[in-house]
This record gives sequence, structure tokens and C-alpha cells, in this order.
Amino acid sequence: MELLSYALRKLIGGIPLILGVTLISFVLMVYFGPDKTFELLSKNPTEAEIAQVRAQLGYDRPFIVRYADYLREMATHDFGFSDSTGERVHSILLRTIPVSLALLAPGFILGNLLGIVLGLIAAWYRGGWVDRLIMAGAVVGMSISFLVVIVAFQALFGVVLGWFPVRGWAVHDLSSYIHYVTVPTLASVFVALGYNTRFFRAVLVEEINRDHVRTARAFGAKPTEILYRNVLMNAMIPIVTRILFSIPLIVVSGSLLIESYFGIPGIGKVTFDAITSGDQPVLKAVVSLTAVMFVLILIATDILYRAVDPRVSLSGNANA
Amino acid sequence: MNSVNQPVMAQPHTIRGKASTSLWGRAFDQFRRDRAAMIGCWVVLGFFLIALGVWFGWWGTGWSQATGGRWEGPSMNHWLGTNLLGQDIFQRAIYSTRTAFEIGLIVAVLSTFLGGLFGALSGYFSNTFIDGMILWLKGTLDSIPFYLFVAAVAVALSGNPWAMHIAMVATFWTTTARLVRGEVIKLKNFEFIEAARAIGLGRLTTIFRHLLPNTFHILLVQGTIVFVSAIKAEVILSFLGLGVQDGVSWGLMIAESTQEVLAGEYMNFIVASSFMFVLVMAFNLFSDGLQDALDPRRTPR
Repeated sequence: MELLSYALRKLIGGIPLILGVTLISFVLMVYFGPDKTFELLSKNPTEAEIAQVRAQLGYDRPFIVRYADYLREMATHDFGFSDSTGERVHSILLRTIPVSLALLAPGFILGNLLGIVLGLIAAWYRGGWVDRLIMAGAVVGMSISFLVVIVAFQALFGVVLGWFPVRGWAVHDLSSYIHYVTVPTLASVFVALGYNTRFFRAVLVEEINRDHVRTARAFGAKPTEILYRNVLMNAMIPIVTRILFSIPLIVVSGSLLIESYFGIPGIGKVTFDAITSGDQPVLKAVVSLTAVMFVLILIATDILYRAVDPRVSLSGNANA
Repeated sequence: MNSVNQPVMAQPHTIRGKASTSLWGRAFDQFRRDRAAMIGCWVVLGFFLIALGVWFGWWGTGWSQATGGRWEGPSMNHWLGTNLLGQDIFQRAIYSTRTAFEIGLIVAVLSTFLGGLFGALSGYFSNTFIDGMILWLKGTLDSIPFYLFVAAVAVALSGNPWAMHIAMVATFWTTTARLVRGEVIKLKNFEFIEAARAIGLGRLTTIFRHLLPNTFHILLVQGTIVFVSAIKAEVILSFLGLGVQDGVSWGLMIAESTQEVLAGEYMNFIVASSFMFVLVMAFNLFSDGLQDALDPRRTPR
């Protein structure tokens, strides 16, 4: 009960954020976005025809009315049909989001797990050569551009070795899934690993220097047990926060580059095409989806804090 | 590199026989002893000289003429060969150094300025309406995926060459502002701020003369981090067609090389990514050294 009322309060607190995201996206993508008037007109249109099309697209109405309309369509999930393809926006989302999730999930999970493992190893041997090696590797990894990694991996695995396909997404069973997902996964793990390892190591070193860890060592507990029970579990709050907050950005931004380079029909590619062509119904759907996702993640982190740390109180202002 | 990588310091190190005790003096001493950071610093300076030379027209002038055949190998005329159009790859890579510094410096300076300004204001007026508005703006900008935001700005400004810079500044200031806000909230309870209030200094004077200068170490470190982020983002934006509009950049070179790589021609790709890698790596080392030297929480344990 306490949890429910808390979640509701948070949800109401998220409204300004949703309004902000929708306002900025409306101003950028719709109000100053591409003008579709002339795409709908024949050659050499008359003044009256132009005015009629503009009225039909709603360009002649005042800012506030158009924004209210935009909000109403978002609230009712009435996104209508894509301007470019005429496909229902709902079915576009249902078709592309699973592809993006399937494409990104392995890389996301592996990147974070490996980052935590490497961070634990580096933190345990802090100051030693193992630590230095891992951290030097992390800086090198951080210095290589995502695009360079994608091009290099594609050239290596697709062209030179010829093990995996260079483009496309013809997935129908497990083996074809692995066939297509391997190179993008390797690339995204490679790119994320440097940043993740550095972050996790910093958090874990903070925890490993505490007195209770020294006490546990003095009592002769095994290193793996100390690392798991006393270090990792106590550092869970920043770790969980980082992982959860990276989800929305990964889903849209991270998939954009991989999808446009490998020619995979996912949500990132669809959104990018929608921005450049001014496909407003699709944009509305994606923007409202990311905004809502952000607010949900904000709430989820607060509730998870409670789960991983019983001292965190939900009734107080825990995340001030 | 990281704090713990350095040998534990037993005594405050001295340069020219005098031990520095101020924050900046100690930071400078520590930085001087950080070998990786010093190497990074020199490499960055070297790149900066290359960029300056391009700016003054000393070298890199022939980046756009097609002076050779397609995909020529390295020779005396074309040190690193030519690309698909017969343009000299070395000249293009050199010229791109200037592009990278322009983007990095403009974005780093402007977003650090905005971050410092908004961070200091929201820290000083914390838990008031002003703070609420700035936090709301920050939260909103952080919730819009970066590449979508840039694409939207680029389309809204319809091909304006500054669209990329504007979008980067608009998104990169938020982290700096968050850090400055935290520091200002901590600082404003100190005695010197109380003293400033007691002698009747105005709020704005207090913020800009006494609080903001004390967050300079944060601004410096954040500036270097933003510089690196801007150069890395440029590559991806140029590949997506949203980046550099006229001129050439490492991002554009890598974008054009993606077709060449499939044909088995790697020179353009290797040269552009190596130039970029060396600069970004050096800047990362430099930035890490700065952080270790300036952040009291990262002193050797």
C-alpha cells in the first residue's frame, strides 16, 4: 500500500518532465520541423490551394492549439498513420521495437556484466599491475569511436574472415539470430566496456576500502565471498541507477548507429528517418514513449533502492 | 591514470626547492609527476600546433583538390596515399585536426560557460523557483536521446552549419551544471560566504566573484571531458549526415571510407581513425591527470 501510493505520487511528480520533453520535441520536430505543404501539392499551385493544404495540416492554427492537440494525441495513444509509408504507427512500433530489443539486449547485458567483473578484479588488485592493465585497457577502449569499432569489426568478421553477414536482419530462428546479432553485440560490448569498467571500479573501490571489508578479510572470508557479499551488494545503488538510466538512451540512440550501419529495421532507424522526413505521427509516438519510459525508470530506481537497501525510506524524500 | 595507480606520496613533492601548499600549486606538482598525463598534455599541444598551422595556412591547404589517381598507395607526392576521388589522405587528415579543435573548443567553452552559470545559480538559489526551473530544464534535456535531439535541431535549423554545435552545447552543459550546483551548495555554507553577506555584498557579486571562481577546478576538468565528447560525437553525426557541412573532418573521412573498406581499401579509414584515436586518447590521459590532481577525493589512498 505504501509502495502504491508512493508510485502514484512519483508518477504525478513526473508530469512536469513529460510536459518538458513533449514541449521541446514539439517545438523542434513539429513547429520548426519540416514543412510538408509542398509535398502534398501539385506543381504550380495557386494561393488558395496552398492555404487549403496548410489548413488541412493545421499549420495556420496558433502555437498553443497545435501543442494541445499534440498532447491530446499522445495522451490518447491516437498516433494514426505514418506520413511516409501510410502504415499504422502502432504496427510500426510493434514491428521495430522487438527487433531493437533483440539486437541490443545481448550487448547491453554482456557489457554491464563484464564491466562489473573487470571492475571487481581491478578493485581487488587496486594499485597492482592487474589493475593498471585493466584501467589502461579501459582508457584505450574509451578513446576509440563507436563508428570506428563498427567499421573495423564489420571489415574483420564480414569481409576478411567472412564468418558473419555484413548487412541485414533475416532472423527466423535461434541460429540465424546468433548469425546476425554477433557482430553488433561484439561492437557494442567493446564500446561500452571501457566506460562501464571505469565507473564500476570507482564505485567498488570506494566500498572495498571500508572497515567492514577489512574485518571480513581479517576473519578469513574467501575473496569471492567478500567481493560478492560485502562489496558488490553494498555498491548496488549506484550500479543499479547507472544501468537503469542507460536503458532509454541505449534503446533509441545506441540502436540508431548500429541499425543504420547494418541496415537493420529497428526503432532507431525508423525514428531517424522520421526526423529527417518530418514524419510527425511516428515522432510523436517515439518521443512520448521515451519520456514515459524515463519517468517509469525514475520510479523504478527509487523502488529498487528500497529493495537493495532497507534503510531507504519511501515516505521521506529519499532522492532529494 | 587513476589515483591509486600512482605511487603513494610520502612527502609533498617540491619543484625548484619550494613546496607548494595551495590547491593549484599542489595540483601542478602532482600533475608534473603524472607521466601519462604529461605525455597526453604534450601530444594535445602537438595536435594544437598542427591545427594552428592549418588555421594560418601553413599546411593542409590541398585537402580538397584531386591531385592523384583513385586509391594510390603512399608515395613522395602523397605521403599516405589517396582516397576514392584521388584526394591526398594526409592533407585531409591534417586539415581535419583544425575542424576537430574548432568543434571541441567551441562546444567545450560554451557548454562549460552555460553549465557554470546555471549550476551556480541553481546552487545558490537551491530549493527555490529558479533552482526548480533549471533542474526541470536539465531533466528534460537529459531525457531526450542525444542523437535524436541533434537530428531534430539539425532539421529545425534546416541545414545551418552550427546546428551540430548548438545541439551539443544544449545537451552537454547539464553534467557540468549538476556538479557545480553540488559544489556551490557545499560552499555557500562556508564562513567566507557568510562574511560576504555580512558586509552587504549583493547576491550576484557573491555568486560570480566568490562562489563561481571556487568551482574552477570542476569547470576545467569538465571542459576537457566535453572536448573529448564533442570530437567523438562529431564522427557519428558526420556519418549520419548531421555533422560538418563544409570542409572535411575525421568523421567525414571515416564515413566516406566505409564504402572503401568493403572494397578492401583501408588507408583512409586507418589514417582518420588513428589521428582521432591518438588525440582522444591523449586528451583522456590529460583529463584523468587533471582530475587526479584537482579532485581532493581522488588523492592517493
